[in-house]
Amino acid sequence: MTSDVAIQVQGLGKKYCRSLRRTLAYGVRDVARDVFGMTPAWSELRRDEFWALTDVSFEVKRGECLGLVGPNGAGKSTLLKLLNGVTLPDKGMIRTHGRVGALIELGAGFHPMLTGRENIYLSSAILGLGKEEITDKFDAIVEFAGLEDFIDSPVKYYSSGMYVRLGFAVAVHSAPDILLVDEALAVGDVLFQAKCFAKFKEFKERGATIVFVTHSLDLVTSHCDRALLLGRGRVLCDQSPKAVVDEYNRSIATRSEGDQHRLGEGVAEKALFKEIEWSGLFRTNPTEDRYGGRKAEILEAGIFDVDGVPAQVLERNHEYVIKVKVRHNESMPAAIVAFTIKDADGRVLCGTNTLYQNVNMGRMQKEETIVVAFRQTTRLNPGEYLLSLGCGALENGDYSVYDRRFDYMTFQIVGDSPRVGLFDPECTVRWERMN
Amino acid sequence: MDSVAPVQESAVQSSISSIPEATETIYTPTGVRRNGMTGWRIMVNDLVESRRLIWLLILRDISVRYRQSILGYAWAVIPQIATVGVFAFLHASRVLPMGQTRLPYVAYALWGISVWQLFAGCLSACTTSLASSGSLVTKINFPRESLVIAAIGQPIFDFLIRLLPVAAVFAWYGLTPSWNVIFLPLLLFPLIFLALGLGFVLSIANLAIKDVGNALGTALTIGMFITPVLYPAPVRWPFTLINILNPVSPLLTATQDLIAVGGLTRPEMFALSCLISMVVFFVGLRTFRVTILRAAAYA
Repeated sequence: MTSDVAIQVQGLGKKYCRSLRRTLAYGVRDVARDVFGMTPAWSELRRDEFWALTDVSFEVKRGECLGLVGPNGAGKSTLLKLLNGVTLPDKGMIRTHGRVGALIELGAGFHPMLTGRENIYLSSAILGLGKEEITDKFDAIVEFAGLEDFIDSPVKYYSSGMYVRLGFAVAVHSAPDILLVDEALAVGDVLFQAKCFAKFKEFKERGATIVFVTHSLDLVTSHCDRALLLGRGRVLCDQSPKAVVDEYNRSIATRSEGDQHRLGEGVAEKALFKEIEWSGLFRTNPTEDRYGGRKAEILEAGIFDVDGVPAQVLERNHEYVIKVKVRHNESMPAAIVAFTIKDADGRVLCGTNTLYQNVNMGRMQKEETIVVAFRQTTRLNPGEYLLSLGCGALENGDYSVYDRRFDYMTFQIVGDSPRVGLFDPECTVRWERMN
Repeated sequence: MDSVAPVQESAVQSSISSIPEATETIYTPTGVRRNGMTGWRIMVNDLVESRRLIWLLILRDISVRYRQSILGYAWAVIPQIATVGVFAFLHASRVLPMGQTRLPYVAYALWGISVWQLFAGCLSACTTSLASSGSLVTKINFPRESLVIAAIGQPIFDFLIRLLPVAAVFAWYGLTPSWNVIFLPLLLFPLIFLALGLGFVLSIANLAIKDVGNALGTALTIGMFITPVLYPAPVRWPFTLINILNPVSPLLTATQDLIAVGGLTRPEMFALSCLISMVVFFVGLRTFRVTILRAAAYA
């Protein structure tokens, strides 16, 4: 292992058990084995066990920022736990060089009754800082968290944002050589996020290594040197952030059943308008807000690129098609079909419907199903967005909702160069000298 | 300006040089290796390194405990006085005569229950220490035995408060123990180490199986009655088994001896109990270290 490698992972495997009762039984047995130093039975699966991570190998160089991406359940958090040393692998080996700091459970060591000041001292000590180190960094921590006025109040009176900011400030000032970050940045306002990224940059310049788990692919393309795509506990791709984003899109298109079954050309063709069911192509929002009389209903919806390949991560300024499948439950005039796009703060950014677009679909039979495809170029700037859908009709001058599905699914937009604000003004810039 | 520059430079250098001397940690299915250290060496190293953390945790527990309470520290003595009051009444009214004690019964029972509460308090605080720390145990990597060790701070602090009513009762009866009572802390150490050793194992068990905490409460109640806390140590076979088989009995009896007669009546039993305590402590700590990472996953 050369000295510029900060993290080395070889053939790593970690298994978990689905059943709580067996988990306990296995746990007691494993612990007994540990205590008596008997040969472990870790490498084979017992009943109800599965590999949360398997055969994971990679290296991270000192000063590198590695992004860990992948759908829920891909093993990102498990990997981070293993790197942090809070749980042991069942196979393989991890070698880390230097002090490991984690932005995983921010403020985990805080006691609600203690003041911010007392909590800084205590949780810094938990993270391994000596007394002098804490005293030196105390003011910097308070300033970074922006809590000068509240530092002597019990943290139970803090807002959740303040709480997390303090947790972040403490963790980040423990001067780790390797920093593990797990979605921690989803909290806090934009200014604080910017502050965090400035801090990360400072870390990198100092030679520290960052491993960064996120769902936001844009953060990966804009801040990471390299990215690792995990899927079902395996490393699917270990490349540049851009290449990993492309692979991520393709892997979402992989159906959730058959493991390696990719969406072939012919299938993409069919998906454009009918036949194939889209469930499994997209990760939809299980907690969508749905209501309406269901005279007509939205069966499903999805976003596809112009070749018909499903996409949940879109590239800015590329063309995509939003498709909505609507079934009419009685003989009736065709329903008006609509979509809107909101940002993570709930602001409605854009949207349209078949009425506004002057699309006349005539009358529908009972049980007749249609697919409406909205094709447009995504001008929105990188970030995470929510797609909402609706169908309804004008009945006696009032708009009657048949089926409205708020926040049906999320999608992300990535871009290669930064812009300010909500959307890309798509400027062409020319200049000339005056004299 | 020239005089300032070298200072800044050295500050920069010290922050950079902290990286090369960094520790190398290796995780494998069989355990952790840090800078070539394994097993007992890491364990002792961590124990020494976490002194300050343990102290801070103790201060936290003590300062937090009574912040939202009106009677505050009085709660440390109220249960003790209530229990002794009931038993003193039963004893005095001959409903439940406790036999002849070397000290006046109230003084004897008050002391006995204080020492027992020290042991029981340490043991139950240790047992629940991990489970009550929540995500700290499962998500943060630090020497978690600090949590278990720090848990004894509160019961020890409570014990010190309980000495006040004990001293008051002794003064009331006009009892003056010999100067040898300054050795009392030495006699209490093995008791605390015994509680810690058992606590290490029980805290882990309690993480995965919540029955442990409930079972412990019952066990400690029974334990109090099979230890000479509220009655004098039995002298007739087979009841003397209580004095031998129960590792707490000789430790408690030793403190009672020291207060009543100023010396130990059964030094060999006390020595054996000390030895057992230390063995339990180290075996408990080692078991804790070996199992914590696996157990944390089941928490």
